[in-house]
This record gives sequence, structure tokens and C-alpha cells, in this order.
Amino acid sequence: MNHAGPVSVRRVRLLITISVILVAVFAIRLIDFQIVRAESINATSLEKREVTRIIPAVRGDIVDANGKVLATTVYRYDINAAPAIVRPVERRIDGISQVESVESVATELARILEIDVAELLPKLIGTSHYVNLKKRVDAETHRRIVELGIPWIFSDAYQNRLYPNGAVAGNLIGFVGTDGDALAGIERQFNACLAGVDGKESFEKGVDGIKIPASTVLLQEAKPGRNVVLTIDADLQYQAQQVLASEVKRLDADWASAVVIEVKTGRIVLAAEAPSVDPNEPGKSPPEERGARVFQYAFEPGSTMKAITAATAIETGFANVATQVRAPYALRVFDHTITDSFSHPTEKWTLTGVLRFSSNTGTIKIAENIPAKTRYEYMDRFGFGKPTAVGFEGETRGVLNHYKDWDGVTNFTTMFGQALSVSPVQMASAYQTLANEGVRLNPVLVAGCQDSDGNLTGVPKQNATQVVSASTANDVMHMLEKVVEQGGIGKTTAVSGYRSAGKTGTAEIKEGSGYGRYYAASFYGMAPVDNPQYAMGVMIYKPKKVWTNSMAAAAGYQKILSQVLLANRVPPSTGKSPNLPTEWK
Amino acid sequence: MRVFAQTRARGPMVMIVVMGFLAISLLHLLLTIATSQAVYELSDLKREKRELDTTSQILSEEVSSLSSQQNLLNTASKLGMVTNSNPVFLRLDDQKVFGKPKPALGSSSQSRNLVANSSMIKQAPAKQKASPASTEQPQQLPEVAEETLNAIPASPTR
Repeated sequence: MNHAGPVSVRRVRLLITISVILVAVFAIRLIDFQIVRAESINATSLEKREVTRIIPAVRGDIVDANGKVLATTVYRYDINAAPAIVRPVERRIDGISQVESVESVATELARILEIDVAELLPKLIGTSHYVNLKKRVDAETHRRIVELGIPWIFSDAYQNRLYPNGAVAGNLIGFVGTDGDALAGIERQFNACLAGVDGKESFEKGVDGIKIPASTVLLQEAKPGRNVVLTIDADLQYQAQQVLASEVKRLDADWASAVVIEVKTGRIVLAAEAPSVDPNEPGKSPPEERGARVFQYAFEPGSTMKAITAATAIETGFANVATQVRAPYALRVFDHTITDSFSHPTEKWTLTGVLRFSSNTGTIKIAENIPAKTRYEYMDRFGFGKPTAVGFEGETRGVLNHYKDWDGVTNFTTMFGQALSVSPVQMASAYQTLANEGVRLNPVLVAGCQDSDGNLTGVPKQNATQVVSASTANDVMHMLEKVVEQGGIGKTTAVSGYRSAGKTGTAEIKEGSGYGRYYAASFYGMAPVDNPQYAMGVMIYKPKKVWTNSMAAAAGYQKILSQVLLANRVPPSTGKSPNLPTEWK
Repeated sequence: MRVFAQTRARGPMVMIVVMGFLAISLLHLLLTIATSQAVYELSDLKREKRELDTTSQILSEEVSSLSSQQNLLNTASKLGMVTNSNPVFLRLDDQKVFGKPKPALGSSSQSRNLVANSSMIKQAPAKQKASPASTEQPQQLPEVAEETLNAIPASPTR
């Protein structure tokens, strides 16, 4: 009766047998895959191996002090075709299938790409799988091409640098090359901040080289670059460039520059020049216009240096605002004759008068007893002869030879800004010192590097240096106010409603071993005198259509200063200038 | 009798295993369908994101171009606005005037843009390219075209 035992045993045996067979089959297949056919399987797998691709990080923006974007990254597209598969395009219009000829499609393409259809059609003929139709079209054009639904049209996306405001601050921003490498200016100097970290992804591709869908694995996410925040106000920078471009044309000058520095912070509000490079198309500008001459070019400052000499004389006790001198038209020193810029009998001027009339001989009379070493040390403390803390790429240090290298004449000519050279920013920084009660602040162009959360890093540390006492600085500023109040040229720089101070400068330009026939005309100053907010300077290089060279910079200075004061809502001045006599009897 | 009893005893067990297997298979099927659906949805969303990114870029470029100083100056000039470098202030407390009012004439050189910007491509707003169909009958501009010329122009960025 009991059949269960043998049946159960048979079943168990059968199950074991099947299992053994299955294991054997798998084992044989395993040996086949791993040993016998390993080589051919590996070879096959190579055909669809994993491909690793770099995901380019998006470069950060460059923005002005108000967040206005001056440089950003956008995508541009190369539009390509595969002539080998070019054929008429089938479209459904209102539910009806229509076939459009290649010529008709090409006409449509040519219209969108803004190229001649006669130029486009020959490119679509051939056996090639790649021909470029147009490079770097914008996103809207690309979208219109995609909407055409042409199966033999392809596109490649590229990151492209866009400068929405063109040449506004182009001298400072710099530019990148077509391959995305930073080539000049802030773009290059702050590349570490702007450039992100590229990401990485892998995907599998088939024998035909086509990516296998859904095979992408993100290995490393791309980290976008951070933003560089400048201290400049792009709107004022534009205004200044407009004024300078207009003045360059009016005066038939080579170029012009303007620098405005916030007196109490050292921040550069504008550092403009004209002509200036449009970073969107740097190749269209000659090499000398692709940089920032405000930082990179040094010129002999001329009479604007007299303010520094006056400050040194007062600070060291050799003079005060009322020190009296007899200033002749010409003075003989070491076989050289130094004259004033206008003919006059020997005048009885105070130091204020010397500055008001911009007398070279009077300046010598004031400063001749100051040791050269002392004057050199003060010029050094005012920041001449060394690059500013901005450290702009290619920044000039200017020329300030050691006092021991000064010959007899140089000792005198340096008093009124000859035999040395300065950059426009260096001189503006010196006037910032005078406007800030003698405290020199490092000029600042970049506020910092900003991450996506708005955090600023790399904020430059400010280094305040008391160069001269507050009373000395204020004395010089009040003397310079007389230049604007009374001077024939100075008056033209006045902004209605504000007390301002400044000094003209007319410097000869070296040509070969001597001086050429053209000048660098400048005006540097500060405003408002009752509560100094801005130090600024304008320099016009080689103006050719001028009645008097020293006048060349005045009009531009006045226009830019008025815009700076207005735009920053600086309250008009209320007090009156101190009574400082310019002459004595 | 024992075999029958054993078979009867295994019955529910087999049923449970089979039902369990079916339930797991069904769950797996449902999960697979849901995942597939999510993959399609994800793909659609990615495509939509790309489109929106592109739209955002196009609009950003347009806004940047419209707000560029060059475009604003050109527009202001068309409206007859000029720069005034002689500001005058009125203090409300005592109605004192600071500065001397002068007419803001604005030189012609300053009322037009002098700062290059090649990211702006100017388009003739009213002129249209003559198409073959329109060569015989020149298209008349609508009457509002004159107004359009004086309005803030469309983005020059293309």
C-alpha cells in the first residue's frame, strides 16, 4: 500500500539530475564566455564601449557695482548638414502630406541663416556626412532651424562669451578667444574665479558610433564659474566714454582717458578711455586699443604734480598757503632755462598764487630747499613709481627714478611733473589722498568673487596710509579750489552748485631723444570741496585742434564730473571757499 | 490515505506560493510600467527644460540688448532728450537755488552713440525686404508705422 516512498525518491532523483544538468550547462557556457570566446567577446564589447565626455562648466559673469552684466556666457550653434542623406523633405500641412524639394528647403534655410541660397545649394551636394552651413548662430535662429524639421540638418552647441554693452568698460573687461581661453583684462586676471570646473559624463555607443539612449551616467557634475564684481558704475563709465569719444573727435586727439575714485573707499567708479575695444570683436581694434591705458600707459603728468610738490612743502614746513615768492617768467638752472607757460613780469605770488597761475618758476622757488630725498620719499608715499594695488595685468609702474639718479635739472623739473611719468590711475589716486585728509587708500577695481549664493570672496584688503596730515591735504585742496574759482581754464571745469578743486597739466611727450610737438593735456581734481566724495582726472593725449593745450581736458572733465555728482545724488555745496590770497605786495 | 492527506496538506501551500509568485510578478509589472512612464515623463521634462532654457537665453539677450546704454541713448535721442551738464538744485526748506540754470542744448556728437557695441545688430524697423510677390505691388505701410518708429524699438539683438 505504501508507494509514497519510492515515488518521492524518484522525484528527488529526477530533480537532482535536472539541477545537475542545468548547472553543467551554465558551467559550460561560463567556460565558453570566460575562456574559449573571451577574446572575441572583448573585441565585440570594444565596439560599444563606454565613452567619457567632458561637460564644459559655464563661465561666470562680470558685473558692475550695481549688478549690471558686462560679460556673460550664452550658447551659439554651428549649423551643419549631411549631404549624403539630403533629400526632399516630407511635411504634413493641415493633415495633408506634402513633399518639398531640396531647392525649396534650401531657400527657406538660406533665408533664416541670412546667406545666399546660391552659396548654400552647392554645399548640399555630395557624399559627405558633414558640411558646415553657418557658424555660431544665435539661439533664436537655431530654434527656427530646428522647427523646420529637416532630417539632414544637425547642429553643434558652443559656449560663447557675450558682452551686452559692447565697448563699455571693454578696456577693463578684456576678452576671450574663440576657443574660450581668456586673453586679456579682468577675463584673464580673474580667470580662476570665472572659470568653473568641468563635469564628466559617460555613455555607451554602438558600432555605428551613435549614443545608446538612456546610457548616460553622470560621473561628475559641472561646477559653474563664479561672478567677478567690479566697483565701476557701467552707466557712468558709458557716459565718460561718450564724452571722451566726443572730445577725441573734437580735439583731433589720439585718445583720452578718465578715472574717478571714491575718496572715502578708494573704489574706482569709472576708468574710461576712448577709443576702447569692443570685446565682442576685439580683432576690429588695433592692438594699442585692446588694453587698459588707464593702468598700462605712463605719461609725464606736468603741472598736476605741483599739487604734490605743494603738499610736500607744507608738510615738511618749507611753505604754507601764504608763503611769498617772486616768480620770474624764466629761471636759469644748470645751463637750462625753465620758463612759465605764459609770458609775465616777475610776479609776487603766494604758494596759492603759484598753483593758481601754474608757475614753474614759482614752484621751484617754493621747493628748491626741500632735499631731493624728502621729495622722492613723498612721491613714493603718494604711490608714484610702483603699480597700484589693483595689480591690473600689464600695469605700468610709471617712471620715478631714485633721487640719487636725478641730475641737477631733473631735481627741479620733477617739481612740476617732468622727468617722471605716471599712469592716469596713479595720479587720480594721489588726488584721492589729498581729498581724503591725507589718507591714501588703495584703488580698488574688483570688489570680489561672488558665488551663486551671493557670498563675496577675495575682497581686497584696504590699506590706509597717512601720507600727509589732514591740515596739509585740506590746505592743498583749498588752494586748488582757487584754480577752479579764478583760473581761466579752471573755471570751465566748475559744476554749477558745487565747490570743486583741481589742477591743469600740460606735459610734453617724448619722441626719440627729445620732445615732440604734441602734448598730453590733463585736469585732475576733487569735488565737492566741502565734503569730498570723488577724486578724478581726465587726460587727452596729443590733441591737435586746441587754442591752448592745457584747456583740452577741461570740457570733458566738467561733463563727466557733473554726471558723477548727479548720478550719485551728491548734495550741492553750501559753504564758501576760504579766503586765500594769491598775490602779495 | 497518508498520501492523500499529504497532498491535501500541500494544496494551500502550493496555492500560496503560486499566488505569491503571481502577486510579485504583477507588482513587478506595475513597477516596470510606472518606471517606464516616469522615464518618458523625465525625458519630456528634460526636453521642456532645454526649450525653456533656450527661451530664457533668447529673452535675456533681448533684455540685455534693450537695456544696453547704446540702445537707451539712441532711443532717448529719438525722443529729443539731451544730456544736461549744468544741474541746478532747489532746496525745499528755504527754496534756495543752487547753481545757475543753463539750457541743455546737447551737442550732436553727444546725442548719438559713440561707443561701439557689435552685439547690437540694427534692423531697419519699417523697411521690408521686397519679396518676388511684392515687387509688382509695393506694400503700403500701415498708418501706425509712424507711431511705431517713435516708440521704443524692438530688440536689435539677433
